[in-house]
Amino acid sequence: MADDHRDNPDQSVSRRAFLKGGALATGALSSVLIPVPAEAQLPEATEPDPRRTVVELKVNGVPYREEVPNRTTLLQFIREHLKLTGTKMGCDRAQCGACTVILNGRNVYSCTALAIEAAGGEVLTIEGLATSDALHPIQQAFIQHSGFQCGFCTSGQIMTTKALLDRMPKPTEDEARRALSGNLCRCAAYKRILESVMTASRLT
Amino acid sequence: MAQQQNATFTVVGTRSPVIDAVERVTGQAKYTGDLELPGMLVARVLRSPHPHARIASIDTSKAEALQGVKAVVTYRDAPKVPIFGHRQYMLNDRVRFAGEAVAALAAVDTDTADKALRLIAVQYEVLPFVLDPEEALKPGAPMLFQDGNLEGQPRVLTRGDIAQGLTESDRVIDRVYHCPTMWSGSMEPRAAIAQWEGDRLTVWASSQAPMRVHGNLTAQFNLPESSVRVISSYVGGGFGTKSAPHVDETLAAMLARRARRPVKLQYSREEEILDSNTRFETRVYAKVGVKRDMTLHALDVRCYTNLGAYHTRLGGLGNQATHIYKIPNLRTEQYRVHTNVPNTGPTRGVGDPQETFAIESLIDEIANEMGWDPMAFRLKNIKRNGDPIARGGSGTEDGRLIAQVLDRCIEEGSARIGWDRRNTVPGAAQAGPRARGIGVALTERAGGGGPGGASVKVNLDGSVVVFYASTDIGTGSRTTLSMIAAEVLGLPLRMVRAVAGDTEMAPADGGSYGNRTLQVTGRAAEAAARDCLEQVLATAAPMLKAAAADLEVREAVVRVKAEPARSMPLREVMQRRGRSIVGDGSVAQSQAATNVERTTGAHFAEVEVDRETGKIRILRYVSAHDLGQPINVTVVENQIEGGTIQGLALTQAEEMRFDARTGRCLNASFVDLKPPTMLDFDPRVIEPIIVPSVGQQGPFGAKGLGENPCHPGMAVVANAIYNAVGIRLREVPFTRAAVLKALADQRANTSRTA
Repeated sequence: MADDHRDNPDQSVSRRAFLKGGALATGALSSVLIPVPAEAQLPEATEPDPRRTVVELKVNGVPYREEVPNRTTLLQFIREHLKLTGTKMGCDRAQCGACTVILNGRNVYSCTALAIEAAGGEVLTIEGLATSDALHPIQQAFIQHSGFQCGFCTSGQIMTTKALLDRMPKPTEDEARRALSGNLCRCAAYKRILESVMTASRLT
Repeated sequence: MAQQQNATFTVVGTRSPVIDAVERVTGQAKYTGDLELPGMLVARVLRSPHPHARIASIDTSKAEALQGVKAVVTYRDAPKVPIFGHRQYMLNDRVRFAGEAVAALAAVDTDTADKALRLIAVQYEVLPFVLDPEEALKPGAPMLFQDGNLEGQPRVLTRGDIAQGLTESDRVIDRVYHCPTMWSGSMEPRAAIAQWEGDRLTVWASSQAPMRVHGNLTAQFNLPESSVRVISSYVGGGFGTKSAPHVDETLAAMLARRARRPVKLQYSREEEILDSNTRFETRVYAKVGVKRDMTLHALDVRCYTNLGAYHTRLGGLGNQATHIYKIPNLRTEQYRVHTNVPNTGPTRGVGDPQETFAIESLIDEIANEMGWDPMAFRLKNIKRNGDPIARGGSGTEDGRLIAQVLDRCIEEGSARIGWDRRNTVPGAAQAGPRARGIGVALTERAGGGGPGGASVKVNLDGSVVVFYASTDIGTGSRTTLSMIAAEVLGLPLRMVRAVAGDTEMAPADGGSYGNRTLQVTGRAAEAAARDCLEQVLATAAPMLKAAAADLEVREAVVRVKAEPARSMPLREVMQRRGRSIVGDGSVAQSQAATNVERTTGAHFAEVEVDRETGKIRILRYVSAHDLGQPINVTVVENQIEGGTIQGLALTQAEEMRFDARTGRCLNASFVDLKPPTMLDFDPRVIEPIIVPSVGQQGPFGAKGLGENPCHPGMAVVANAIYNAVGIRLREVPFTRAAVLKALADQRANTSRTA
């Protein structure tokens, strides 16, 4: 309810600094094209703001450099700054796995990692999995077995699968179940998700 | 449609992957919360910490003065139009559950909105509250509404003479079953985006029923239907919680109008749990009487349904009793009661899982009490194909006959699970701390109903688009409706696409709920495709110098039936025509009375109960369903498997707990509600069975299915636990503590009688 909102005493700096961020790579361009609200045109701040940090990191192989409030989550960074909306917000509390991305080879809940923690790192999101020519074998397996219904948790399921198969290429079914147990599927397409993971382990 | 049963299909009945699979596995599918409009503001909702209070004063001036805040609304701004015909306005001067919206605002970003929310000063005049439906009916109970807490009149169904029926019975038992208020939401929290262009309103909503949202918005803002457009393209689950208009769409539209900018309102998970029409609590008092010849003779049911503060749909209990079994003497009495728990609604059945738990446990109890095989007892008393149908509202029979194969579901399911392996003496001693048992429970639900519509367009290259205003909430309707059009038009599925959930592009259609989409919207899509086919053949007739009646389309080629070599590709026919073809399909209200179809099923579970830890394991689970002609077998199996797990989830968790002192929900998070992960139930043990049958109303003999697989879980597990260890659990969830307590009570009783 109303009592769990995070404090941010100064909006003006964030808006200005975001617009000044400068070295926005391709993925972020769309946000710059959005008309700027009048209240964003504010006087220049004179001191560097200790509550903000310039973050450099690679997402899906593309380098990004952005100044963000320190408490920006990796999920907010991916969805709101880079406009990569394939990663979903299901709970914002590390309880469902819909926001799973791969950070430096490990699957993480991006809703509870900070963007500044990812600085210097490499992030892989669902958008980075397929090439322009072909779907990733994990995606093919999820289609082959219909390993989803509504699809809202699917990006997270697939990214967790990717991290699993990268570190354990031939898991047993029980190992796969344990690895995927941090990703809720409310439609409960679990039988098909498990089949998708096992088929993917044979394809990759 | 029944005449289709011997036809051979080319698309219908296959296992094609869903047609939007690539979008869903690549993150390209855009759900409402993923959309962004130029200049869009974000909205936040201030919610009441009190379960029952009058708003003595509300001061929004400080919030409005904060830089970046563009609009604030309170109950003073709310149109005095109830949302979806019930008692709740968009905002009210009184709150009736902890978490109810009190005010909303829109600001340039979430941080500003959150900050502004804390600047709204509300003085509450706190009122006494009540959480229990039976308490709420007692004299002196806190009153939620002027005319009392009981919604309408008690709903009573009667058949025969219940008093005489109970007297005539050779044995009567009397039991109470309870299901608490349970979370029933989806992975995607509610979201709505509103945009005004002049007096035209467009709302993107995470809804199962865009047309109902559309109807609510036209009423709230007094607009003609042509001025409102609702779009629900990709929806991240619904299960009934999104089947009615809700305050979020109206709030977003109100704020957008004030701010003259688009507004997005995205619920947090906590908001979604507290304010999302959850599964209602039921307490069922039931008496059943049987004759020595194994016939059901009398059933007397009194049920209290806890609607919470507001409701989107009144649960009509009594279906299970009136539609599954032949019972000469019946009385069901249902009290639907408002209390200060959050609002409720239909969730994968309008109370069906709760009712199934009570009735299918009761049937099991009396059979065991009499020493009868619970499955044989059911087979003796169920209605069979050709028996009279009982109408949902009154329970009376009107001469129509049931078309379902519930008996075959029971037979095929019991053969698969190995019913003969059950303990013929329930709870008989087994070696070691763990004991196994097998249980059964049945499900029945009316599907369809109401008028519906869809349209189909044939493009100039022969490709086809299906337009429908219901949605694909994960049930695969984009795919199944496209398959229906492809089958009718003689096209490969890849030539057909579907545009779901757009009220402006498609004819009026109720929504995706109540086993309805495939059966009603699908039938409308079939009619629209047939309309197109007629026009295609009439267009091609002069080109092929043949009568239209002698033509057919196969694999996108129009040809003379008797002389297949005389042909022309559909693409060429359309290009020569130079105009697209639009087909209209509708299922009229007059047909609606008969387009209700009954979908049935029988579930069997083998469970293992650990007497030392209270842990219940599902070893095998068979879900046998009668769903008519499957349109897409994979979609059907996915629905059965997922629905089965959702039903099982109710046995272990998802209870919403409320603090007796404050009236607040204590566990509004995934960690505390514990929806099942892949480890909680082994999904490999679920075996779906599609029992062959042909429906009477749906396209190609299909019946709606989505609701049923969720219904039997609680009852079938309770019955299997009884068979394993001889304890009877009548309250869900079946926690380890509850199992251990029941086992301890059993030991105490045994030692007393010994």
